[in-house]
Amino acid sequence: MKPAAFDYAAPTRLADAIDLLVAHADAEPRVLAGGQSLVPLMNFRLAQPGFLVDLQHVDGLSDIRLTDDELVIGAMVRQSTAEESADAAAGAPLLVEALGHVAHPPIRNSGTIGGSIAHADPSAELPAVALALDATMTAAGPGGERRIPAAEFFRGPFETALGPDEILTEVRLPRRPGGHAFVEHARTHGGFAVVAVAVDLAVDDAGTVTRAAIALSGVGPTPIRATATEQALVGTVPDAESIRSAVAATVAVLSPAGDVHGSSETKVDMARSYLRRGIELALDRAASRR
Amino acid sequence: MTTVDRPTPPVRTHKAERTWVGKSIRRVEDPRFLRGRGGYIADLVLPGMLHAAVLRSPHPHARIVSIDTSRAEAAPGVHAVVTGAQAAELTDPLPDFGPNPAAHTWRCLAVDKVRYVGEGVAVVVADDRYLAEDALELIDVEYEPLPPVVDPLAALADDAPLVHEPLGSNCAYDRTFEFGDVAGDFERADVVVTDQLRWHRSGGQPLETVGAVAEHDPATGGFRVHTNSLSFTSYLFMVATALKIPANRLDIVPMPAGGSFGSKLFVTKPLVIAAMCARLTGRPVRYLEDRVDNMANCDHHGSDRHYDVRMALTRDGKITAIDIDTVDDYGAYIQFGVGHHGNALAQVVGPYTIGSVRYRVRAVLTNKNQQGAYRGFGSEVNNWMLEQMVDKAARELGMDPVEIRRRNFIRSFPHFIPTGNVYDSGDYDAVLDKTLELGRYEHWREVQEQARAEGRYIGIGLITAQERSVFSATEFWFWFDEPGAPVTSMPESVTLKVDATGAITATLYSCAFWGNSPETMVAQLVAEEFDCDPHDVSVVYQSSKNGLPATGPGGSRTTVMLAGAVEGASAKIKEKARRAAAHLLEADPDDLEWRDGGFEVRGVPEKRKTLSEIAIMLHLFKHSFDEDVESGLEESKVFDHPYTTMPSADRKDLGVFYPFMGHACHLPVVEVDVETGVVTFLDYAAVHDCGTLVNPRSLAGHIQGGTAQGIGTALYEEFVYGPDGQLQTTSYLDYPIPTSLEVPELKIGHVETPSPWTPHGIKGGGEGGRMMAPAAINAAVNDALAPLGVRITELPLTPDRIRAALRAAGHGS
Repeated sequence: MKPAAFDYAAPTRLADAIDLLVAHADAEPRVLAGGQSLVPLMNFRLAQPGFLVDLQHVDGLSDIRLTDDELVIGAMVRQSTAEESADAAAGAPLLVEALGHVAHPPIRNSGTIGGSIAHADPSAELPAVALALDATMTAAGPGGERRIPAAEFFRGPFETALGPDEILTEVRLPRRPGGHAFVEHARTHGGFAVVAVAVDLAVDDAGTVTRAAIALSGVGPTPIRATATEQALVGTVPDAESIRSAVAATVAVLSPAGDVHGSSETKVDMARSYLRRGIELALDRAASRR
Repeated sequence: MTTVDRPTPPVRTHKAERTWVGKSIRRVEDPRFLRGRGGYIADLVLPGMLHAAVLRSPHPHARIVSIDTSRAEAAPGVHAVVTGAQAAELTDPLPDFGPNPAAHTWRCLAVDKVRYVGEGVAVVVADDRYLAEDALELIDVEYEPLPPVVDPLAALADDAPLVHEPLGSNCAYDRTFEFGDVAGDFERADVVVTDQLRWHRSGGQPLETVGAVAEHDPATGGFRVHTNSLSFTSYLFMVATALKIPANRLDIVPMPAGGSFGSKLFVTKPLVIAAMCARLTGRPVRYLEDRVDNMANCDHHGSDRHYDVRMALTRDGKITAIDIDTVDDYGAYIQFGVGHHGNALAQVVGPYTIGSVRYRVRAVLTNKNQQGAYRGFGSEVNNWMLEQMVDKAARELGMDPVEIRRRNFIRSFPHFIPTGNVYDSGDYDAVLDKTLELGRYEHWREVQEQARAEGRYIGIGLITAQERSVFSATEFWFWFDEPGAPVTSMPESVTLKVDATGAITATLYSCAFWGNSPETMVAQLVAEEFDCDPHDVSVVYQSSKNGLPATGPGGSRTTVMLAGAVEGASAKIKEKARRAAAHLLEADPDDLEWRDGGFEVRGVPEKRKTLSEIAIMLHLFKHSFDEDVESGLEESKVFDHPYTTMPSADRKDLGVFYPFMGHACHLPVVEVDVETGVVTFLDYAAVHDCGTLVNPRSLAGHIQGGTAQGIGTALYEEFVYGPDGQLQTTSYLDYPIPTSLEVPELKIGHVETPSPWTPHGIKGGGEGGRMMAPAAINAAVNDALAPLGVRITELPLTPDRIRAALRAAGHGS
């Protein structure tokens, strides 16, 4: 379990990092953020990049900014930093709750927000959060900067809209008051999610759902939105029965792949249960915050 | 039943007042290991040392058509590439206690065909492990895939592909043993309970994997090998044979094992690979498995059994007989034979007065990594099977789980069970009473009832089971009519040295540090003898070269055996010291008594000599003594198994082979989330009786840790081989191990029923937690699901299995 040989650079400026990706394109370069996913893959030799561009000394990628409209998190913000950030808690409590499920504290001390999103593991927590919150990803490349909505960002397992010479620099999360919940089943604490559910919704004074955004991880090649459930909830005052049928609308079309942690049927059972729990918890919180 | 002569050893009297034995002193090992000064295989760097890496088979079953190593040999930093065929020239087969070893030859690398995913086909030796792994990718192997043998039941079919052609079958062993009047007992039974059960394979997961650093001395042709094998003296001659050298040319130096749980019992393959490469390259070589090597290729997967069981009972719940038919999937080789079933037969009837036993075992070879040793060595599987049967019987008879157990407890000791093994002592009611109180059984039954009314599923597991200790090796050969052998003595040795200042050093043989507390335990036993502070006793480990007879840890034998050796060596030292003191005090030796760290004239406390006063005289002033007194104060004791007897010739009585019988009761309380199949613990009480306690705190650590592993076995861990023979769990991503967040803090209690036949009345307790927890947790989950009509008889109880069972019972969503 030792990686194949590779070259390595640790630039301090974003422009230099991009130049390195361009210059070493033939070596199938990879960007190294916190290294908590890429390095194990390299040790298993499942990834054999010829060149690593380490972002940890690059200026300007590690800030957390909270404005009236959004929370902007630099791609190199460590997961534990975001987890402890008052701005993050105020701007995106769903993100902070999800971070508590990302591996273990020592891993979160190195792992980054941007690294996890750009890695796009279909079982990971943060991509589901980005999708549920309609986050926008900022990518910098040789042609300048562009913004990619979460709905277009995740393309497949470990596959994103980022080009080979692009670097994810920040994640912009719109501030949306209401109730949130992040619930998941992992075989053991800190393990990858078998099924994870991110819920972000709002209710009015009458208890009517005015907005619902729900994403799942672990049940498809990318995180997916529970659109049918969202639509069934919005405009209603949910009760146990209507939540059950709203959940059923999504569950009916799920066909997750079975693996050693669960058959497809069991994953569907889990999705059903965790969707319900997530929605109930988010509704409780939304109501209590009104 | 054929009766054999059943002599029992003389009953010992145990010291009533003990100073150190029984005290929860701090572990003497801790300062070294907690500060990262343990010194493991990966820490050992020898000048000029090279690194080996093994190319693993990607196929479960394939013929090796050709191997081209030329590109690998030309790679940077590569010193040697050895294929299986070349290794077969350089080494002989590895030691194998299985039936008919010549028909399923086990070698350090595969030769003609590979028999499981992960089996080694070649080894690269390079300047570092990185370069070695680079070169592995340059070895070109042409395989001709063969149909894999995966399902052990299908493997028994006449037309199944063969794992080992010379064997002519995939069944390496098939025999039925009858102990007592099984047919009659079933005929007379009021009730016969039957069931099928399935225990899947898992394995010990040490922090450091298995490895060796070998040095070859071309002048003598000998080797010095540093390895984290638990036991080495006892198998020295076997690995020496594999290396084609006389055993007196091999010195094995023990290294601390970063955990073993049985999985480092005998380090054979990594040792032979490292030594073979060292001899070939003329340089020291380290071969240390990486995690994937260890999971796929460690030769120490655990039991993997199918059971068909019948139990005969009277209407009032008295168990009269049990008829067990088990198929055990051993994987591609069978290094320890079916010794795992000897462990089962040592305590096959549990704590119950069952009168007759039929036991059929079929050992099946398949395309998987082979079984080795894992905490419990197969007895934990028997405990689980038996307790499942007892619970099922209770359910069918409408009895409470507590009541049926009390109805059947053995209460008079020593008790010979039908297989011939003996239970030395016990008080099962006391253990049960204490557990029910500690675990608040009645309280949880009330909570359970309330919860059920709310649609929540809480379950209470209660099991009472045995914890055998101190094996005799007869269990490895009584399977066969031939060869017969005398009883094996399985010795363990200690040297005690009192230096000129009176400080004591204890030397251990064939006993590596494996994560337990051997030094603490020896220090306490020495302190008990000499009235010193155990933290002042120095404990060192001897390599095999200057070793005394020893067997090594295994089968929860270490504490009892080392206690006997310490006792014997101490007696010799005291005898010499008594004579010296008598001389110095001008007293009759018979008038002296040992008191508070020295000898004094009985009734005249001012006439005394402390051990250090005696020691300095014996070390430096020998001429003060009689002519036949030699300088120094150092003695050794080789302590042999205190009680083992021959099996009968017809094998209807297997004799005494595991006589020091501990006992435990576990009482976990769980909640099952029926929507997701997730099990969480609400409470867990565990009470153990392993005779006289040496260190209650370290035993509690054993129980906590063993139970954590048992939780892994019960709920999480499984080596999964797909129908194509691929190992799907080659990292901790797919093989989940419970962490501190999954494992509840146990309520631990102890009962002490001393053994009549061991020093201080000690019994072994190293494996107890894992021998109980799987049975207890399965019972708890089944108790939780009982109102839903669901009972699960397959471990581990993953959310997937629980949900599948619930769906099958109509609880879809």
